[in-house]
Amino acid sequence: MSGELLAQSIVLGFLTGGVYALTASGLTLIFGVMRVVNVAHAAMIVMSAYLSWWLYRTLGLDPLLSIFVVVPVFFVLGALVHRVILRRLAGRDLTLTVLVTFGFAIILEGLQGTLFSSNFQAINTPYSLNAFEVLGIFVPLVRLLSGAVALVLLGGLYLVLGRTDLGRAIRATTQDPRSAALVGVNVERVTMLAFALGVSMAAAGGPLLGMLFAFYPSTHWLWIGKLLAIVVLGGLGSLRGAFVAAVVLGLAEQVMNVAASPDWAPLVFYGFLFGVLIVRPRGLFGTLGRESL
Amino acid sequence: MRIRRLAPVLALALFALLPIFVREGFYLDLLLFTFMYAAMSVGWDIMGGYAGYVSLGHVGFFGLGSYVAGLLVVHYGIPVFLSAPFVGLLAAVVGAGLGWISLRARGTSFVIVTLTFTYVVQLLALNLRGITGGSSGLYLPLLDLPGDLVILPFYYSMLALLVVAILVSIAIRRSKFGLGLIAIREEEGKADGSGVNTSLYKILAFAISVSFAGAAGALHAQYLNYVDPDLAFELIITLNLIIMSLVGSRGTVWGPVLGAFILMPLSQYLIYLTPSQIAGQVHLIALGVILVLVVMFMPDGIITTYGTWRRRRGTARPTDAESAQLPEAAA
Repeated sequence: MSGELLAQSIVLGFLTGGVYALTASGLTLIFGVMRVVNVAHAAMIVMSAYLSWWLYRTLGLDPLLSIFVVVPVFFVLGALVHRVILRRLAGRDLTLTVLVTFGFAIILEGLQGTLFSSNFQAINTPYSLNAFEVLGIFVPLVRLLSGAVALVLLGGLYLVLGRTDLGRAIRATTQDPRSAALVGVNVERVTMLAFALGVSMAAAGGPLLGMLFAFYPSTHWLWIGKLLAIVVLGGLGSLRGAFVAAVVLGLAEQVMNVAASPDWAPLVFYGFLFGVLIVRPRGLFGTLGRESL
Repeated sequence: MRIRRLAPVLALALFALLPIFVREGFYLDLLLFTFMYAAMSVGWDIMGGYAGYVSLGHVGFFGLGSYVAGLLVVHYGIPVFLSAPFVGLLAAVVGAGLGWISLRARGTSFVIVTLTFTYVVQLLALNLRGITGGSSGLYLPLLDLPGDLVILPFYYSMLALLVVAILVSIAIRRSKFGLGLIAIREEEGKADGSGVNTSLYKILAFAISVSFAGAAGALHAQYLNYVDPDLAFELIITLNLIIMSLVGSRGTVWGPVLGAFILMPLSQYLIYLTPSQIAGQVHLIALGVILVLVVMFMPDGIITTYGTWRRRRGTARPTDAESAQLPEAAA
């Protein structure tokens, strides 16, 4: 591999990693407050990608602008799903919640197949094929835009969690729900808002990933594998970890794409996933003990 | 009591003799698939019901079994009826390895590992084109039998697989091992403290649990005479196992069997009712909705719920070994 190609892989990997980080942050946020992997997380991303694709086709709404539509829609839907279904399972066997999110994933996949057919789909805008060259590095415009948007949204999430009362309440609940309740946090409401926020992050990733990759109803099983590898490497429940891991794996995937073949690139994620679980189950930045892993 | 003991034997005799009277391929095919799913669901329940660890990856072992058995026929001419038990054993060994990775801890990593394992095997099946034929799949040689008899060896071997699964489940249920698994489900910390080697128990339970999926996959590959990466790893298979076990009752021997005998005919009927272009999608949605509804409103399943209801009315027989040992099966 030539030096220029390597430099290009690093730039592209970093930009894609930013989008992965955005979607993985939602998954790790939800895990933090609920202690459950949202198996439907990637199915929600794909659903949002379809929605964005549909808005672009019917109304001509730019996919980047459609984020302003899908995020509020998914926030409300997430809050509703928590209120109607997940809240009732709180305090019971956690496996029941896992099974319900598995059910959601299946339902979303079936809905996508019924509404949009099972064919490959991609969000192609007039600028989708544009690219520019800097210092011999060739960067497609959509990669730059989606990476930049993802970083801005992540920055927003970071501020919400770090500087607001809701953020403090979410972090407290993640650390210890019982103590959080003792100091006056309404754990049920905070969990609902955190779930809705996590789902919104998935929704924001939909248009971005939809511009970068082709998707079809069952793509979410591939994407959930990637996201799980990211959150496990970063340490379940750790946002900072998810960000670092997403960039690392985005880079590794890009290098694998170029060095070997895109066919084998997913193996990077699975390799890291299994490797981390064998060597260091709590991941890079994990604070949770073996109990909850 | 006597009828309870006798009923399974009578049912077995009935199913064994049935092909003499019923020659329609449709019914034999439906029963064969019901046996297959029931056997796999009984297996799933050994981990998901007894030990309380839900696997989202049993189809990975089903697909693994399909491919291994398929390759053994194609390259070495070993018939699946011979290789199926060994394929089951291989699945158990792989399952133990996976269990070692994910079951030393408690909980989430097991969900993650079982979910992703399926895609690792599928990726290998897709990409090792030289061995597996890649996305165009693998064709198995047809059995040398007349058309109307060809279903019988599959019918009987699936029935045999179900019988073995049920016997294994009963044996575990009555053993110290089974009690250990239930202790793990109820309170893993205490089980650990009272001397149960929880990691070993869980790994062993998972190995046994997936062996039936592996063997079923082997037989299924020859039944279709074909394996490909989409067919062998259809997630709907895992989904079916889970729903069957939940509907019948998690943590009971007969729950998954009951669930399979309810769900399989229903699924077939639903597919028959819906227009073929969207039948697959509608089936998917329906199963997902059923899973969510069952978890929300009847997580204990039919057998346990009925047992509780009878006991409340004061008509339960406390000597009834099945229900007395396990008052809250899916707690």
